[in-house]
Amino acid sequence: MLFLGIESTAHTFGASIIDDQGRIITNVNSTYRPPTGMGIHPRKAAEHHNEVSSGVIEKAFHGVGEEVSPDAVCYSAGPGLGPCLRIGATISRALALYLDKPLVPVHHGVAHLDLAMAAGRSHDPLAVLVSGGHTAIAVHLNKRWRIYGETEDITLGNLLDMFARKAALPSPGGVTVELKAKEGRTLLSLPYTVKGNDVAYSGLLTAAIRLLKEGRSLADICFSIQEVSFAMLAEAVERSLVQTRKKEVLLAGGVAANKRLREMIQLVAEDHGATFHPVPIEYSGDCGAQIACSGRLAFESGITVPVPESFVNPRWRLDEIEVPWIPRP
Amino acid sequence: MDSSALDLQPLHRGAEADLFLSQLPPWKVVVKRRVRKAYRHEQLDASIRKERTIKESSTIRDGKVAGARLPSILGLDIERSTIIMTFIDGLLARDTIDTMSNVRRVSLLEELGRQVGFLHSAGIMHGDLTTSNIILPADEKPFMIDFGMARKSTDHEDHGSDLHLLQRSLIATHVLDAASSLRRVAKGYREVVGEEMAKSSLRKAAEIARRGRYFAIR
Repeated sequence: MLFLGIESTAHTFGASIIDDQGRIITNVNSTYRPPTGMGIHPRKAAEHHNEVSSGVIEKAFHGVGEEVSPDAVCYSAGPGLGPCLRIGATISRALALYLDKPLVPVHHGVAHLDLAMAAGRSHDPLAVLVSGGHTAIAVHLNKRWRIYGETEDITLGNLLDMFARKAALPSPGGVTVELKAKEGRTLLSLPYTVKGNDVAYSGLLTAAIRLLKEGRSLADICFSIQEVSFAMLAEAVERSLVQTRKKEVLLAGGVAANKRLREMIQLVAEDHGATFHPVPIEYSGDCGAQIACSGRLAFESGITVPVPESFVNPRWRLDEIEVPWIPRP
Repeated sequence: MDSSALDLQPLHRGAEADLFLSQLPPWKVVVKRRVRKAYRHEQLDASIRKERTIKESSTIRDGKVAGARLPSILGLDIERSTIIMTFIDGLLARDTIDTMSNVRRVSLLEELGRQVGFLHSAGIMHGDLTTSNIILPADEKPFMIDFGMARKSTDHEDHGSDLHLLQRSLIATHVLDAASSLRRVAKGYREVVGEEMAKSSLRKAAEIARRGRYFAIR
């Protein structure tokens, strides 16, 4: 069996085909880049997706061979930007009808974790999901991911992106802030807010922008943002790890590509005798492969949706859906 | 005071601090040492440990002044981010609450309500109020411990959050009936803080539970 995954939650339109062993055969992605200093405009991102979609999907099919077509169509149903979600969903519905194959709704955050677990051979982890849409610490219990700790305001991805915009660093913000941080040496004072297992980043963002306006070195600010915001998350992860006594720590999502964050979470895991499973950097960002990977597991658990009842949900919590395929064997 | 000369017996390793047993005649003491975190920038790490050591000890002192049953602070070693306090000899409520008689449990829940009431009326939030942080000595009069997450607050939201956390811990970890155990805690709490404040805190606690963001999994 072959599974097609369509990703279309935010800046990336992706299509990927994987087989029933979970092997990734093709993974083609195209990412909308807003002009420097600007954020993602939902309509413009949707227009981008509309333009590139047929090319991306054709390329994903092409890698499989001329005569092959997928046996199920998996699409990112949320959470994300409404206009972007609707493009992916519309294309997926059309494909499912045309090919006469089942349609599988996929939660984008769950998909990040599924792909990271498959790639990192993790079975039952304390999952740390860090991206533009999520900053959450979750463990699996009774068929669902349970949020053990999360951000109380903006996500780690938001923090880095919004600061990058203010500092006129080009998109993607996380990557450019990391690059700039390498030149930083001096730790500047920024608010450190951990409440139990939760973190809050909006005060830190405001303070960092203030430092920028005061004319402090951009490299030092980037360095300090990383040191403080990542240490906050690491502390929340450490508390959750001690409470749950999990033996694996998974790090997934776009911000998981950051080397300093990987290093910190690895230190926490190893200090408590847990193994560390970071998502491979090429699969950290949004991609079609995560949707295909999660869609395959959902399909095998009997989850499909008839086209007339198919939906998108821009606000869809990680703990709202059943994930009976976890823990993995 | 200098804690480096104390003879330390390991007691417990938490997420943030290591606990040791020691002697400071005539007292048997607990030494709580916040340890250096390798993941944290050295300068940030030092300031966090120092700040929390001072905050925790001053909150415990304020709570005692307000009448709550808490360990006594015997010394501070800020250089080593260490607090030295009296050892409370007893069992964790977590391990005993399921097996005690109904009569004793009822009086314990009411007393817990009173103890939380003393903290809240003094504007203190415990921040991590679970049955793992309550010690019962032989006389079964509960002591609250671990003020690592505590802070000054007169916000009903924070007080409600304390009560909610205690309630969640009673229900999630123990086979107690939710409604009747909360009623007992509320009775003791009301006695100390008065009708008006009790009403707002308890309403907040119920509201937090309804938000469904906090799952009963511990």
